[in-house]
Order: sequence, then structure tokens, then C-alpha cells
Amino acid sequence: MKKKQNTFSKIMALITYKKTNRPQTFVLPEMDEGQNDNGQKDSGEKQANKPKPEEQPQAGEKKKRKFPRKPLSASQVKSNRTDSDEVKNNIDSNLQVMKEQFDVPKNKDLILREFTLGGNRRAFLVYLDGMADKFIINNFILRPLFNEESLDSTQSGKSANILLENIVETNDAKKLISIKKVITEILKGNTALYLDGLDYILTCESMGYDKRAVEAPKTEAIVKGPQEAFSENLRTNVSLIRRIIRNKDLVTEFFEIGEKSNTTCAVIYLQDVINPAILTEVRRRLTTIKTDFLVSAGMLEQFIEDNPLSIIPTILSTERPDRTASHIFEGRVAIIMDGTPFSLIVPVTLNAMMHSPEDASLKWQYTTGLRLIRFCAFAIATLLPAFYIALTTFHREMIPTDFLIAIAKAKENVPFPTIVEVLLMELGFELIREAGVRIPGIIGNTLGIIGALILGEAAVAANIVSPILIIVVAATGLSNFAIPNYSLAFGVRISRFYFIIAGATLGFYGLALALMAYILMLVNLKSFGIPFMSILAPKNKRSRDAIIRWPVWMQESRPDFLNPLERDRQPEISRGWSQQDPNK
Amino acid sequence: MIKEGHFGSAEAFCLMLVMLTTRVFYSSPLALIKDLGTAAWYGTLLSCAVSLIFFGLLYLLMKRFPNQDLYQVYETVTGKIISKLLILIFSFYFLYYAAINVREFTAILKAYSMPYTPVSILIFVFLLVVIAMTYVGLEGIVRVSYIFFYFIMCGLAMLLLLAIPAYDFNNLYPLFGYGLKETIKIGVLRSSAYDEIVILAIIINSIYGLKTFKRVGFYSLILAGLIISVTLACILAAFEYTAASEQLSGLFQLSRIIYYSRFFQRIEAIFLFIWVFASVITVSMAFYLAVSSYCRAFKIKNHRPLLFPFAALAFMVAFIPRNIGEVFEIHVHFLRQDSFSIMYLIPLLVLIFALILGKKGGKAIE
Repeated sequence: MKKKQNTFSKIMALITYKKTNRPQTFVLPEMDEGQNDNGQKDSGEKQANKPKPEEQPQAGEKKKRKFPRKPLSASQVKSNRTDSDEVKNNIDSNLQVMKEQFDVPKNKDLILREFTLGGNRRAFLVYLDGMADKFIINNFILRPLFNEESLDSTQSGKSANILLENIVETNDAKKLISIKKVITEILKGNTALYLDGLDYILTCESMGYDKRAVEAPKTEAIVKGPQEAFSENLRTNVSLIRRIIRNKDLVTEFFEIGEKSNTTCAVIYLQDVINPAILTEVRRRLTTIKTDFLVSAGMLEQFIEDNPLSIIPTILSTERPDRTASHIFEGRVAIIMDGTPFSLIVPVTLNAMMHSPEDASLKWQYTTGLRLIRFCAFAIATLLPAFYIALTTFHREMIPTDFLIAIAKAKENVPFPTIVEVLLMELGFELIREAGVRIPGIIGNTLGIIGALILGEAAVAANIVSPILIIVVAATGLSNFAIPNYSLAFGVRISRFYFIIAGATLGFYGLALALMAYILMLVNLKSFGIPFMSILAPKNKRSRDAIIRWPVWMQESRPDFLNPLERDRQPEISRGWSQQDPNK
Repeated sequence: MIKEGHFGSAEAFCLMLVMLTTRVFYSSPLALIKDLGTAAWYGTLLSCAVSLIFFGLLYLLMKRFPNQDLYQVYETVTGKIISKLLILIFSFYFLYYAAINVREFTAILKAYSMPYTPVSILIFVFLLVVIAMTYVGLEGIVRVSYIFFYFIMCGLAMLLLLAIPAYDFNNLYPLFGYGLKETIKIGVLRSSAYDEIVILAIIINSIYGLKTFKRVGFYSLILAGLIISVTLACILAAFEYTAASEQLSGLFQLSRIIYYSRFFQRIEAIFLFIWVFASVITVSMAFYLAVSSYCRAFKIKNHRPLLFPFAALAFMVAFIPRNIGEVFEIHVHFLRQDSFSIMYLIPLLVLIFALILGKKGGKAIE
């Protein structure tokens, strides 16, 4: 009976509506919302007394917080088991804690050096082998310590200050009383130093691991403009941005993400430009991530994006410091993860994804032309094969007669229906592309081109596909490469198959319906509270750098949809010299 | 109450214009030219003028009850039970409107472009997209209509301009068609064809109140009247009234006769796309209003669980007409010629009641 009930309830669950358990969406408040509220007040007392619909879920949210939180994770339980997070004033206890936390002696990475200073004062220093620079430890931590004669057990009270200010010769040193923070510092490559009798541990900066130098960009190479790209080192990346934005209001906040990987994540923004609501939302999303480890910006992107089901990315990823800096200037936030040569830019709109880093360096006429080509490429990459199938399968009467004869001739000996032809060629093209990425070095590119040529030629010769289709697939593939954003290009690749199915099933009718559904999906996407299609809908003040790029001296304001604190970028007359008489 | 969101006057204007002009792609020109002959092009202007008067009266009603939408006005004036009934009448009317529009659209689509595909499949797929649009809600529909508005209007303008070589404006004579009396009679009755404007009163709280309501309403009505009138004049000029009164879709035929060279001819593709875009927006809006009105009547907070049942209902209603003749002669005729009895007269009666009973809403501060 119970089993029957279960089956029944399962069947019912399949056909009945279930309320989706979606998280509350973040909506960016207008900077002039206060004015709007006042405006709405005049709409009568009745409504004013009612709670606003937006407020209701918040109230519900507050209520929800009363419920017990989720059970703690294993690592949380482990960390909670320790009696206290504080440093003891006893060397044996602290030594024991360090050994326990790093699993010494099993863990061979950790160097735990015990020594005695001033005759009988015990001390130890801890660092991770390979992460710390031994030259710094030997010459600027250990050597001054051993040379210092004032350190003996009788002067325990004063020694703290002496140690910090006068003895250790590293550029940065922190007194920490939290074991957890000490461990984080050690994991970063710093050295922890403890002297018996103290109630804190001193961490000295000694990071010194091998890292890649700043190189030229690989995926966003340009002709005109800076040739620097991010590297895996967070500090280097932040400094690359700081070198471009030399402004005291540029703030870098650090967050540790990943319970086991403790990956440092920097959030960079211009304090006097950014909308505080965006910043709060970024912080909220970053601090609430609960995961073991994060190794790439791509992983972080998946944790913080608004709509994980969307095939179109809503976070911009770039390897260029200049591009990152320009977005920060506009009022966006850059998130950089340690160990990843990419920065994540939020919030973004579709047009930002279609911009190339070179756009800013070129004259506005060239840029506008290039952008129009890119948008055409977007349309071709998404719709061309579907359009071809719909036209040749359902609406032959719409093809001009001569062209129809050409198509019919080309297809005469091909035994497959058009949809099979298209799918075969698309699959072949995707295979070549994927294989080209795997094959190392220059051979990959060469093999890709040769593969495509030979495959196409052979397929036509073998009457598997028609030559016109080769042109269609090649144009589609080329257009896909013209999309400047790597993730967006992936989204377009997948979308293409959706449209192919729509076009093959119901012709232009199916294609038009699929297009509407697709646009519906796009207009409902949000990137950190900003509608992804802000350039088109909802209506806002037209940007002068969305599709048509105005001359740089005419771009007076920052994007309206970002609601930045400072809207104006430059005065209306930014070229002061144009107002002057040069002959005076 | 369903959270509907807010949008500006530009978005509202685009939505209304698309809704008001979609019928030029359907059989509306056929019906008008059949009834009014060569006077069809200004007959519709007369309908538009009558609609403007009705809209003025509607504005008076909404002005009397500021900060209330039409349904709230019903409740204030007629009480809870009768207002529920009125809202339900609107809900069912919108469902009927959506279903008959789908049927009309698919019937013409089948006749012109997809002769081998069953109507049921065409309607089923169409309703799937409508469900998706409605699932997202009013804001989603409005944004989509705002984006597609430009495509639709540019496409329409392109069709009319490219067909210029086919126009012979002598075809617009005799100017008075079948007689002035007939023109005025049909012109007044066909004010129903513009009654979608009442929708603005239902969503008035989403468009920031009375001021936008008035502006968007008047402008969209006038522009829609002009667009329909110009289109009718073009169809008449291209085909004469005898041939034009026998074509299911005059605009589709117009797109077919475009010929500039061997490679630039027959641009039905453009027509088909803008036709689908306009139809989906119109039907989605009507369908959304059917569902949301039902939710309002029974105080249901979430409209989403009702989408599939309502879509199933719409699917069934779409199959009430047994053939294409019934679609045009009975159902579409009702929508375009008699529906003012629901859309205009009910608010008018409510206004009269409000005046008699001396009921008023809160004060408006503009």
C-alpha cells in the first residue's frame, strides 16, 4: 500500500506544479530611489500604509533566519573542537597546536625550527618549504635574532616590542593572537615566529615562490594598445591595475575562499565611483561561499553568477589589466583570484561581452564598424545554419529561382536530408576545433586548417554534403571566432543547435518562436542586479559606448544602468583647447 | 497580488502599439475592405476616433480613483461580489481573445506558409512560447515587446515602402466606398478593434500612474490608427478593393508582389518573422491578463501554477471554431466588432454608477 502511495505521489509530483526554490534575486536600487519613494507617497494614503511588495520577501527572509542553520561541515567541526583559537603564552602548547594543525611529522612540507635565544629562551619558527624565501628567513629573521643579545627570559615583558620593531628585518610583520590567522599567513608563504612567554605569534613576510613573469596576452591579443597580461600571482596582478589607476580611492579587499584551499581573492573597485549596493552584493556572495577549494576564476564565476542555468555568461572574464582598469573606472568591480591569470568583472551587459580591448585605442569610426561586424557575426553564428535549413526545407518558394536551382543542383547527389548534412558538418567542425586545442603547439592550428579543408573537400567529393553547406558551416565557424568573449562564443555554439532544431522542425515559424524565447531568456538575465540586456531593455539613458562608439571626448558619462556615485566622466567640453584661439 | 514590476512610458507605448497594430497582419484588412470597400482606410480612423472618446471616458474613471487600477475601481464602486464577476468576465474575455488570435494567426499561417503542418502543432508550439513569456511575467513581456517593437515597425515600414511600384492610388476611388452611412456605422462598431487600450487601465500601477496612462493611451491610439489606415490604403492601392477583399492577409500578399530584381523579390521571410513576433507579444499579453485577472478575482498570489491549465483551456477554445470560415465570420468578427460591449461598456457603466453613487477614490497629487 505504502509503495503504491509512493508511486502515486511520484506520478502526481511529475504533473503538478512545484514552487521553485529559487534564491531571492538581487535588484540594484536606484541612486535616486529616495525621490521615487517620495513620488509614490503622493499616490495616496491607502497604498502608503500598505507594505511594499518588495518589502514582503525581506520580512519573510528575516523570519527564516530564526530557523536553525545548516549543520556544520566536517572541517568546521574540527576547527571548533580546538579549545581556543588564541595563542597561548606557553611555547609547548603553541608548538603542539602547530604540529596538530599541520599534521607534523607526517607532513614534510612544514619546517618547524626550534631554537634557543639569549642562552635559555626557547623559540620556534614555522614556514612552508617552497613557499617561503629561505634567504629572507636566514638573513633577515634568524640572523638578527641570534645576534640580538638583549633577548633573555628575564625581559619577557619588553621583548615583544623589541622583537617587532628592532630585531626582525622583514618589510612586513604582524602580531597575531589568532591561530587561524597565523595558519593562513603560513599558508601564504610567510614565516611565523614565536618566543616563549609571549601571548602572540609574529608573522614576517617571506613569500618567495616561483612565479611566471608578466607576459603578453594569449587570448585577447591586440595590435594597438598595452601588451601586458595578468599572471598567476595576485600581488603582481593587483599592482598591474594600480599602475594604471593611480588613485587613492582604488580599494583592494581580500577574501579567503575555500575551507581547504584558503584561496585569496581580491576585490578591486574605485570607492568614489562604485554603487555601494553592487559592492555589498559582491561581498555577500563571496563571503557566503562554502566550499573546500577553488582553483580557478572559472570556478569562482560559477559560484557567484546570478543564473547558473543560463548558457550565456553574465560575468566577464579578462586577462588584460587595461581592460579591467577601464571597467573599474566605469563603476564595476574586478575580482581576481590568486593563482589565476584572469580577472572577473561584474556587473556586465551583453555589449561589454562584445567589446574588444582594442576598441578604446582605435578611432571611433573603426571601432563602430568593427562592432557592427561583431554583432553581425553573433547573429550569423547563432542563426545561419538554422536559417539555411528552414529556407531549404520549408520555404523554398522564398528563394530566388536561380539560387534555388544552384542549391538543388548542389544537393542533387547528396542522399541525406539537409538537417543531417548540417548536423554532420557542425559535428565535424566541432571535432576539428576540439582536437586542435588538444594537439600541442603549432601542429594543432595547422592540423585544424588542413583537417577542415580535407574533410570539407572529401565530404563534397563523396556526396555526403553539398558545397553550399560547406560555405554555411564555414561562415558560421568564422563568425563564432569573431565573438571576442570566449565564454560567450561557447554559449553561441550551443545556442546554434537549439535554433537548428527549431528551424528544422517548423521552419521560419519555429525559428521566430525560438528567437523570441531566446530573447526572453536574455532580457531576464541579470548580472549582479543589472539586466543583462540593459543596452536595449529596460529603457535607460543611451550609452555612448554600447554598440556605436562615440568619439572618446564625447563620452561624458558612465553607463546609466550601473548607477555609479559619480555619473560624469568628463565635462561637456573635454577638449579645452578647442575653445581657445590658437593664434593669441 | 502578483508582483508585476514597473516599466516606463516608452515600454508601455511600444507594448500598446504592438497590440493595437498586430491585426493588420491578420484578416482585419480583409474584413474592413469587405465591409467598407474603398472607404476602409478612413473608416478605421473613425473607429480610432470613437476609441479615443471611450478612452477619454476611461481616463475620467481612472482620474476619479487615482492610484487604483481598473479592478480596484470595480471593487470600490460595485462591491466585492460584483467586481469579482466583472474581473472574471475580463479574464475569460482575455482568454478567448488570446485563443482566437492564435487560431486566426495559425489559420492564415497554414494557408500561406505551412500547408502540411497540422494546426494543432502550430498552436501547441505557439502556446509553449506564450507560457514561457507569461511565466516570466509582465516585466518580461514588456521588455521583449520593447526590443521587438523596432523590428516590427521597421519591417512593416520596409514592406510598405518596397511595394511602392505596385501602388496605384486611383484604386482608392470612389472615396465614399459603399456610402457614408455604412462607413460611419461600421466605423463606430469597429472601435472594438482598438479596445486593447483598456489594458492600460488594468496595468496602470505598473506604468507609474495616471499621467503616463493618459499620454501613452492617447499617443498609441492615434499612431495605431494612422499605421492601420496607411496600411489599408497601401493594400487598397496595390490590389483594388475587389481583390483585397478576398485575401486572407493583405500584407502577406503585399510582401509577395515585391519585385526589384531576380535576387530581390518576394520578401515574405521578413513578413513571417515580424508577424510571429507581433502575434506572440499580443497573445502573451492577453494570456497573461487572463491568468492574472483570474488570480486577482480569487486572490491567488502566484500565477505560475495556473499557466498550464489556462494554456490547455486556450488550446481548447482555439478549436471551438470548426473551420477557417467560422474563425473569421463569428469569432474574429466578435473580437473586432462587438467586443466593445465588454471592454468599453463595462468601464463606462462603472463610471456611471460611480457618478450616481458619488463614489470617489483617494486624492491624486501629481
